[in-house]
Amino acid sequence: MILLEVTNPGSSVSLVLFFGTIGMLALTIGLIVFIIFHQRKVIRYQLRLQRMEQDQQKLLLNASIRLQEEERQRIAADLHDDAGPLLATARLYLNENLVNLDKTTQLQSIYNAKQIIDDTIQLIRNISHSLMPPTLKNFGLESAVNDLFQKISGSGSMNASSRFHDYRERLQAENELIIFRVIQELVNNILKHSNASFIHLTQNTSGSKFFIRLHHDGRGITQNDFNKLNKSNVGLGLKNIQSRLKVLHGKIFFEKDMSQTYYKVTIELVKDEEDKVPAQV
Amino acid sequence: MPYNRISFISGILPIIFYLIFFKRNREGGYWVIFVYCILSFFADTAFHVHSIRRYSYYVYSGLTVIEYSLFSFFLYQSYKEKIFKVILVICSLLFYVIAVINILEKKSNSFDSLSASLEASLLILFSIFFLYEQINDPTIFYVYTTKKFWIIIAFLLYFSSILFLFIYAVTFTSQQFNSYWRINNIFDTLKNLLFTIAFAMKKNKQHEPSLENFYPEDY
Repeated sequence: MILLEVTNPGSSVSLVLFFGTIGMLALTIGLIVFIIFHQRKVIRYQLRLQRMEQDQQKLLLNASIRLQEEERQRIAADLHDDAGPLLATARLYLNENLVNLDKTTQLQSIYNAKQIIDDTIQLIRNISHSLMPPTLKNFGLESAVNDLFQKISGSGSMNASSRFHDYRERLQAENELIIFRVIQELVNNILKHSNASFIHLTQNTSGSKFFIRLHHDGRGITQNDFNKLNKSNVGLGLKNIQSRLKVLHGKIFFEKDMSQTYYKVTIELVKDEEDKVPAQV
Repeated sequence: MPYNRISFISGILPIIFYLIFFKRNREGGYWVIFVYCILSFFADTAFHVHSIRRYSYYVYSGLTVIEYSLFSFFLYQSYKEKIFKVILVICSLLFYVIAVINILEKKSNSFDSLSASLEASLLILFSIFFLYEQINDPTIFYVYTTKKFWIIIAFLLYFSSILFLFIYAVTFTSQQFNSYWRINNIFDTLKNLLFTIAFAMKKNKQHEPSLENFYPEDY
């Protein structure tokens, strides 16, 4: 009916009305369809990003669990292989038959047992120190790092030095531990893979930012390598570094020095006000 | 069955569905649409009374103002961006001024074309604002799972399809008016059906599409 009226050549208003209404309707439907499809596209993109992030998290979680297990196995092995036999030997010296032996043998057995128990105490202390360095706990990150670098230097295999330029206020203990573990992991990687002849660590602050820089002259990696290793199943230690720094909302950059001679690793953290603890002298 | 009768009967549907699913529609300001549906239904009933038709200009004008007020109020409370609220308030003030002047200076015998066209144009614009806001809101995952989307789509489809009808209504003869009013009846039916869908829909909880839970492969 409407169409018949529209086709009437005398009715120009009808024509405008007809095409106007159809046009508006087409525009509206087009708009609705566009919104629905656009939103679906955006959602798909967001989901892809989310999935990628979850995959990355999964890798980090895997790495951290694996490292934790390795650490447990190492402690279990230390206790089982070293502390176990030592204590068993001490027990042999102090067996029930000891009372029936002559005094000199008794004294000798007690002395040997005491020696073995002292060794065991030292062993357990070493295990405990490797879990939580007492220097770090008592004197802070600066002392712990200096201690670590002195030990490396003392071994004679590499020249290691560290310098803290602005560390008057200590970070919170748990944050210090995380940073120390990251440094340990980096130093460990340098020792294992780089063939470097020196490592130098410097600490600086700039505004609210806290920087730790490591230089070495061996074979290193760049940021691209780091990103690639992070996405692959290898590079467990690097993933561990990444997951630890994530806790502190920190960043890490791997680069080659301007002179192309040294590799540089920079750790960047943001210092919170509540994070600062006056340093112990 | 004549179009106007279908349109009239379809007006009951959103009222019934709102009441049936009252719990689902209690929150979110849907009562505004419910009030509109009731008013619209009673207005349609009133038009069947011969004596009221004499005042059709005033009834149409009054209905236009009420319809605009209810829809714009619904949109106002749906907006999250302040800028859209401000634009809506300024445009509404202009609309009321024009509508009141138009009612006072009655120019046509049956239909207030200017107010109705202005109402349709403004509500189309406000609906587009709402949709723009929705696609930019990261908390909304599937826009068509929300009740408000269907209500706004009803506004958009209805007002965009009757805009030209309202613009030209002032030039129609009585016969043409009755003939072309079918467009209004058809899209009024569609609007009522979309309102019914909105009222029947379950309350949307903005769930993100779930990703599989993950556990480390080896543990």
